[in-house]
Amino acid sequence: MHHHPLEATVERLCAVSQAKYANPYTAIDWPAQLDGDQWCMSPELISIFGTEAYMHLSAAEQRRLSFYEVVNFFSLNIHGERALVEGLARRLYRKGHRAISPYLHHFLDEENKHMTYFGGFCMRYAGKIYPDKKLAFPRTYAPGEEDLLFFIKILLFEKIVDAYNVHMSKDMQLVPLVRRINLLHHLDEARHLAFGHLLVQQIFQEYRQQWSDDTLHALRDYLSNYLVATWNEYFNPEVYRDAGLDDPYGLKEHAFQQPGARAHRREVTASCIRYLLATGILSEEPAL
Amino acid sequence: MNLEHNSRVQLRHWVLAKNGKIRPEELDDHTPILEQRIITSLQVMDLILFLEQLTGKPIEVEMLQPGAFRSIETLYQHFCAAEAPNGYQH
Repeated sequence: MHHHPLEATVERLCAVSQAKYANPYTAIDWPAQLDGDQWCMSPELISIFGTEAYMHLSAAEQRRLSFYEVVNFFSLNIHGERALVEGLARRLYRKGHRAISPYLHHFLDEENKHMTYFGGFCMRYAGKIYPDKKLAFPRTYAPGEEDLLFFIKILLFEKIVDAYNVHMSKDMQLVPLVRRINLLHHLDEARHLAFGHLLVQQIFQEYRQQWSDDTLHALRDYLSNYLVATWNEYFNPEVYRDAGLDDPYGLKEHAFQQPGARAHRREVTASCIRYLLATGILSEEPAL
Repeated sequence: MNLEHNSRVQLRHWVLAKNGKIRPEELDDHTPILEQRIITSLQVMDLILFLEQLTGKPIEVEMLQPGAFRSIETLYQHFCAAEAPNGYQH
């Protein structure tokens, strides 16, 4: 009998997900209002942290900006997880994915819950979600390439998000609700990341030999650009406009290029890059 | 310089700068910028922000069709021309 290489992992992760099954409607107490005097995003994670524009803000203005920054962060999570749920649902019980489908059910369930946390926060306190600016264009794929790209993009997106979640879940100067949402998300993401690491590696090993060098080169190029594009979304001109900052588009360009911001991206993405290099998916470090 | 010409020039500069490799004479208003991978699908998000800045109008991405990004001509017609006041494709 053929065993899927992830069978034991799937079994273990399903058992943990069942044991930690959560009710999203009782997991969080939603205050009627947020305390506007507290931070909503760790200052060092604010996209324009370290720029002159940031340093010239008063303490109250910085905290106001932190609110819109976290609304953007939660909005990015919603967009990422919406695409994830769509893709996971399409793969349920598909040939080649039957062995992992029991865990895909948990993955879907947990991602849906996360969206209720993020959406609940954004709609209650900001009255909106910042819109997604990404567009998907139809294209053709080599065998296995679409699956690999789907799972690898999730993995990279979630690893960056998780670094923010871990940091903010421990930051005692933040509004308790924000700490709680970050913690709840991180607890589930740890399992999703464990699954993603193994699955991406397995798909790559299974299909790599079927691909031409051109396909592999294009895939590597795409992933490097994807990482840059993912980081780009953390710098949202609408956030700066809502926080009352001047020249929001110029500020985005300027803040993104700051040496401090580049160093931050490299630091947060370091473990992603190490993984991609170790698996052979990337052959060199992308310029972030 | 009229507004139409100015918008096209700015779009052209943006595309050339983002690509960084093609020569100006290789890009005209009808060159298929996505098909020829002069601009990648991942750079379209940046392009949308640039168009918002250029026109001063927000763009609702969910209303858009990929055809809007085919060339400088289609970008101009969909987002900058007087008959596209909201920047949306109707």
